[in-house]
Amino acid sequence: MAEVHVIGQIMGATGFSESSLFCKWGIHTGAAWKLLSGVREGQTQVDTPQVGDMAYWSHPIDLHFATKGLQGWPRLHLQVWSQDGFGRCQLEGYGFCHVPSSPGTHQLQCPTWRPLGSWREQLARVFVGGGPQLLHGDTIYSGADRYRLHTAAGGTVHLELGLLLRHFDRYGVEC
Amino acid sequence: MNPKEEKVKIIAEEFTENEEDAAVGRRKKKVQRQQRKKQPPTAGPEEMVSENPHLGPQQEPGQEEPKTHLLSTTARRGPRSLPPIPSASRTGFAEFSMRERMREKLQAARSKAESALLQEIPTPRPRRLRSPSERESETEFGTEPGKEVRRTQQEDDSQNYSKVKFHDSARKIKSKPQVPPGFPSPEEAYNFFTFNFDPEPEEERSEEEKAGAKTRGGADQEAVSPGQQDEEELLDGREAEDLLLGLEHMADDFVAIRPAEYESVHRWLQKEKEMLFVPSRLTVPTYKKLPENVQPRFLEDEGLYIGARPEVARTTGNIMENRLLVQEPERGWFGDDGRILALPSPIKPFPSRPPVLPPGQSTAAELETLYKKAVKYVHRSQHMIGSGDPSGNFQVDIDISGLIFTHHPCFSREHVLAAKLAQLYDQYLARHQRNKAKFLTDKLHALRNAVQTGLNPEKPQQSLETTQKTIKEYKAEIWQTRRLRDAEQEKDRTLLKTIIKVWKEMKSLREFQRFTNTPLKLVLRKEKVDQKADEEAFEAEIQAEISELLEEHREEYEQKMEEYRAAHQQWKAWKRAQRARKKKKKHAAEEPPDEETEEAPPEEDPGKPVPPEPTDRAVLEQQVRERAAQSRRRPGEPTLVPELSLAGSVTPNDQCPRVEVLRREDVRRRSVYLKVLFNNKEVSRTVSRQLGADFRVHFGQIFNLQIFNWPESLTLQVYETVGHSSATLLAEVFLPIPETTVVTGRAPIEEVEFSSNQHVTLDHEGVGSGVPFSFEADGSNQLILMTSGKVSHSVAWAIGENGIPLIPPLSQQNIGFRSALKRADAISSIGTSGLADMKKLAKWATESKLDPNDPNNAPLMQLISVATSGESYVPDFFRLEQLQQEFNFVSDEELNRSKRFRLLQLRNQEVPEFRNYKQIPVYDREIMEKVFQDYEKRLRDRNVIETKDHIDTHRATVAKYLQQVRESVINRFLIAKHHFLLTDLVVEEEVPNISSEGSGILGLSLFKLAEQKRPLRPRRKGRKKVTAQSLSDGDVKLLVNIIRAYDIPVRTPTPSKFQQPSRTSRTFVEKHAASPSTHSPTHSADYPLGQVLVRPFVEVSFQRTICHTTTAEGPNPSWNEELELPFRAPNGDYSTASLQSVKDDVFINIFDEVLYDVLEDDRERGRGIHTRIERHWLGCVKIPFSTIYFQSRIDGTFKIDIPPVLLGYSKERSMMIERGFDSVRSLSEGSYITLFITMEPQLVPGESVREKELVARYVSLIPFLPDTVSFAGICDLWSTSDQFLDLLAGDEEEHAVLLCNYFLSLGKKAWLVMGSAIPEGATAYVLTWEQNHYLIWNPCSGHFYGQFDTFCPLKSVGCLIGPDNVWFNIQQYDSPLRINFDVTKPKLWKSFFSRSLPYPGLSSVQPEELIYQCTDKAAAAELQDRIEKILKEKIMDWRPRHLTRWNRYCTSTLRHFLPLLERSQGEDVEDDHRAELLKQLGDYRFSGFPLHMAYSEVKPLIEAVYSTGVHNIDVPNVEFALAVYIHPYPKNVLSVWIYVASLIRSR
Repeated sequence: MAEVHVIGQIMGATGFSESSLFCKWGIHTGAAWKLLSGVREGQTQVDTPQVGDMAYWSHPIDLHFATKGLQGWPRLHLQVWSQDGFGRCQLEGYGFCHVPSSPGTHQLQCPTWRPLGSWREQLARVFVGGGPQLLHGDTIYSGADRYRLHTAAGGTVHLELGLLLRHFDRYGVEC
Repeated sequence: MNPKEEKVKIIAEEFTENEEDAAVGRRKKKVQRQQRKKQPPTAGPEEMVSENPHLGPQQEPGQEEPKTHLLSTTARRGPRSLPPIPSASRTGFAEFSMRERMREKLQAARSKAESALLQEIPTPRPRRLRSPSERESETEFGTEPGKEVRRTQQEDDSQNYSKVKFHDSARKIKSKPQVPPGFPSPEEAYNFFTFNFDPEPEEERSEEEKAGAKTRGGADQEAVSPGQQDEEELLDGREAEDLLLGLEHMADDFVAIRPAEYESVHRWLQKEKEMLFVPSRLTVPTYKKLPENVQPRFLEDEGLYIGARPEVARTTGNIMENRLLVQEPERGWFGDDGRILALPSPIKPFPSRPPVLPPGQSTAAELETLYKKAVKYVHRSQHMIGSGDPSGNFQVDIDISGLIFTHHPCFSREHVLAAKLAQLYDQYLARHQRNKAKFLTDKLHALRNAVQTGLNPEKPQQSLETTQKTIKEYKAEIWQTRRLRDAEQEKDRTLLKTIIKVWKEMKSLREFQRFTNTPLKLVLRKEKVDQKADEEAFEAEIQAEISELLEEHREEYEQKMEEYRAAHQQWKAWKRAQRARKKKKKHAAEEPPDEETEEAPPEEDPGKPVPPEPTDRAVLEQQVRERAAQSRRRPGEPTLVPELSLAGSVTPNDQCPRVEVLRREDVRRRSVYLKVLFNNKEVSRTVSRQLGADFRVHFGQIFNLQIFNWPESLTLQVYETVGHSSATLLAEVFLPIPETTVVTGRAPIEEVEFSSNQHVTLDHEGVGSGVPFSFEADGSNQLILMTSGKVSHSVAWAIGENGIPLIPPLSQQNIGFRSALKRADAISSIGTSGLADMKKLAKWATESKLDPNDPNNAPLMQLISVATSGESYVPDFFRLEQLQQEFNFVSDEELNRSKRFRLLQLRNQEVPEFRNYKQIPVYDREIMEKVFQDYEKRLRDRNVIETKDHIDTHRATVAKYLQQVRESVINRFLIAKHHFLLTDLVVEEEVPNISSEGSGILGLSLFKLAEQKRPLRPRRKGRKKVTAQSLSDGDVKLLVNIIRAYDIPVRTPTPSKFQQPSRTSRTFVEKHAASPSTHSPTHSADYPLGQVLVRPFVEVSFQRTICHTTTAEGPNPSWNEELELPFRAPNGDYSTASLQSVKDDVFINIFDEVLYDVLEDDRERGRGIHTRIERHWLGCVKIPFSTIYFQSRIDGTFKIDIPPVLLGYSKERSMMIERGFDSVRSLSEGSYITLFITMEPQLVPGESVREKELVARYVSLIPFLPDTVSFAGICDLWSTSDQFLDLLAGDEEEHAVLLCNYFLSLGKKAWLVMGSAIPEGATAYVLTWEQNHYLIWNPCSGHFYGQFDTFCPLKSVGCLIGPDNVWFNIQQYDSPLRINFDVTKPKLWKSFFSRSLPYPGLSSVQPEELIYQCTDKAAAAELQDRIEKILKEKIMDWRPRHLTRWNRYCTSTLRHFLPLLERSQGEDVEDDHRAELLKQLGDYRFSGFPLHMAYSEVKPLIEAVYSTGVHNIDVPNVEFALAVYIHPYPKNVLSVWIYVASLIRSR
């Protein structure tokens, strides 16, 4: 019966090698969570920064959850994509972060990574674009053995999430 | 003094004692130290002062010190309770090892020295005696720690220096001449005599001091750095080495040189032989390794699983075995098979540790990456993140290699036979390959042998019983096998016979017709057999069979005899009993009869059993032989082997009769192609191939189908084309969807048979299909063959670039769990996720005899054991979060019970009731239960049909259905609504462009600056379009510009005079005739000139807001007024979807304002004007809001909907002719109004094209037809006429299609016109061709217009649709006035089906015929009464402040009149009606009119009545009349007439 309001925005991203970036995002929750209102997933616009290297999206996130348990606390998973001069999109990084569990405004920085692929693929990525992508997107946030995956670090996605919690104290959860 | 410390001391002393017996070198050091003691140190004065007092006691411990170091560390911890310092203990250890080394060296030196008989060792006694004093000094030291710290600091300074000195001294020692033996020690002696006071001993002393401190556990110990100490130790060691060197020098003299000892190799070898055991490399015979009299046992041969043994070289193994045999003769090392016991090789063929892979070769399924090309962004897959969408495409490869007809209409008789022959031959080959008869014969032999051996028991140990039993079983088996074999043999033989028969038939046919059609040729090869052997074998077989049969019969006989005997016995007993009973009966004759009844009823007569007959051998033999002759080859008869070849030659065409030539030509004209249907949609088709003379078609095409979902069906359609005509569908072939294991390259070519049920009769040699024909001349023995054939194909899943089969997951839900399941699920771990049937799998596993011990099969075995042990165990669920339940705050029910959450969710889902719900309360208790009432009621009532509102049940059903469909469509579009285009989000002003002609700001605006200002000729300014999102109530206005009207009916003069009825309408032919002069205008001469004929004004009502213009005068008024009406979106929701569903209409009503002088007293006339204004409704124009919304503006002249009867008004015409407008005006009939309607601000209408794709799909799922309003802008759905009629709702298209169909069925030339009209916008009209001109029909209103009618609402024509083609208007103009409708002219009309794309003979989606049901008249009458009642109630409601009186008389009059109107379609009745009304209601002033509508619901009727404004009359003595008439048409189509009138009694 506890409620969690996640209100915030995906501010933008820094540190990516490409400049025209956009972000696909989604929120994954456990079975105990119930989305009361809001959209679970979305996509930002493409931002091409003119000044500085931070791509600003300021993409709003407004979700209202009801939960009957703490398990499966919502986590945000992100995919940063870049769009090249031909309007083609390629993956720049995967990332995920938990929605903070304390109320208030939080500045989050979500580092990202992307699969590296074989040298051939790396070469192809440099010259013709595209790139290796995960076949199963849930790897981003699931606890699978990822040690076999060779990845390269991407940039960081900056998030600003405000949290409103309600009735958690009723169930003995302090926050 | 601590007891512990003391103990340590004692140990230390013992140490020294032992050591010092031999340690010569050390003694020298001791001496050194002793001497040092005597010498005063030469260091700084300070040191002298501080150290001197301690010198005495310090010397002694110095001697012991080297050995106590290690132990002292432990001692130190005791009394002072200082923390142990690791560095100190380390040094201790280092010291210790150093000492050890030294000790060893000393030992060596000593041995040498001893051998040389060195002098006696001096006793260590004196030192020992001194030790008590040393202890005393310790206590002293303990009292003054501060002093010591200071001293050690000074020592640090002096140490560097002392080290150097020490080295020097050591060198000096070395260089000294060796002291001869016999003396105490060279060093000691040297020291004794030549010691001088160097600074070096000071260092030594300081070290001693420190060591002493350590043993005592002094506080200064921390000050001593470990490095320092190490160094000192090192120095110590070095010192010792120096000493040893000195010793060596001395030992040289005692060494005697001897020759090296040598042992000869032989002796050595011999010795070795005695000592060593060399196991042989030869293989050990097995018997040695096993206990005696035990045969080796090979478990593997017995079928047990033995793992692979570890690899050992043969020789190594042999050596080991030999060794074990000798060394451990117990033989526990050897297994049953005589090999060394060994566990299965633990070495796995693959590394268990994940190899360090080169990047990109990661193999874990869930970590797989896929290189994706950078792709253009597709909107469809917008939200793909994490939602488990099936990624990537999947591919099915369909390889169609060819087609063979087993029957075809063009088959000649010979072909039929050939096909039969080929089929039989195939059968023969198949049977031959299996050779079941041979197999069964062999089995029979084997069984007989077994019986033979079983009968001659050689093994006495087996019990007789079991033998008997097995023999019995064998015999049963023999019998069974024999029967089977006989059947098989007979089949073989008949097959052969049939083949030969067919071949003979074929030969005779070829001879008869004198030409050959097929290259088939049957050759019978005879295989000679050895007659004698064959005969013998045959005979033996027969004999064996006879004997077996005899035996069987005998057994049977015996059994029967047994039975017979038993039966006989029984019978005899019964007989006896019967006899006895008879006697008894006689006795009992006198007894009461009731006793008789008690008696058991007499047993039935079992009948006398017949003894069985013994079998006769001769008869049996006869039978057997007969059967053999029938089913088996006669002995000595050669074996016949048929061989079918295509070696024959086909007669060339010129030698064939005409019919045959015709047939062959026909075959050549035919071609075949296949369509590939995936999920019932055509995806591709093969090339069209000509049919070969052998009726085979080779395609050899592979189709790669890229798919997204699991295929539902794969179908091939066989099409045949003859010449250039259209293709006909021969048959459908359903291909099985391949198993997930079938991938390209592995799929075998399979043949699937098909057959068609078409009936074809041909006029040549072809036998046709589905028609009887016969081979006989007399036509007997008729055959009916259907077209049939086989398609050879293979279907397989394609393999992706990385070797992964491109198979979609079995079910879409599974995909998320797949990776996780893999660990838990045995099936998926063996890689066959497609296996669904556990039982089958288990069956397969048992059949294929999998080794259950093999660990490779372990998962499978586990699975099978699970599957077979009980169905219930197989988990059919998957729990993601195991402990969820335990950690839950609340239960699900409680969560679902929360009203607040429910409300929030419903609002989020945009459920209509809650879509714009604002401010949901924070607490559950604040939410009223009734909030949900409506919603729940709606959910409940979804299937309950409410008849209250609709009255008519059929319409209620339809309305409900429509409502449901509307809901489901809206729900679907809610999703689509969240997809935005760029234009939805970004308002982008067009960038000024120089080159563009119209909007070029830079180009034209420059000229504009120079242009003259013309304020009287304002230019149109483009308005900004507003996306309907940031709007709220009051922002949007509807602007209605009423410009002018034409031909408004005028008041007729006082009704006292009856005038010549003026024909307001003309006959049908007149109306559309081009010449306008046919009608004769009537002139009402009674009108005084200048009198106002009519004072019309316009009232616009929209959403119950009413605005009206000023009153103009005359029948052709001009208002030129702009009316502004506010627009309110439903629920304040200005989103596109919401606006699209606005159902409101704009009513434009034209009224006549009538002024009545109500002054009753003439005297007051001068003082004031007292008039009453009455308004009389003249007509209306109704424009739906959706049209305005989509058209963004409506501009044009509309026909005013004027009731057919308008009492008190008539059309006035004379003026027009006089004014000369007639050429244009008089073409029309009725009244018109010119309007301009628009919205302010302009709203961007929803894009309707975008959803077409979605809708097309949706429509294909649910066949259904909405009216425009419910789907306006979203899509346009067309329904077939029968659906349209069933639903009784539809938009222009449906009306137009139905109308056009009716016209066509009437034999008229009719087309569907797609174009735009006013006020509907894009619409469909119907065009018909009458004698010499075209007529345009408005299907919704039923009005029609000539092509050149100016007031035709159709404004542009886009395309024409005829029954067989579609034409697009490519003329310069699109106005129907200016275009030519002659579709045969290709320059004017571009046809869709042309020579390049011929009409493919599409079938119609419309039903063959429409079925009409009669409408229930009683129901219609009932409906009529109800509507009347409702309307009356409504009118009374609308007049809340006045009394509403109903004039019954008038009502009944009107009611009688309404059917007349229906009959005459509202024409030609006005005058009669008026006359009649006047007659009846002479003393009333009467104003009223009939309304005519198609019936759908009650609400529009109410609206229509309301909009007439009849109720607005508030004259006190007004009376009303209202009559309703419903005329039922078939199919529940109802025509509603409402006559509303107000009556005012005239004085």
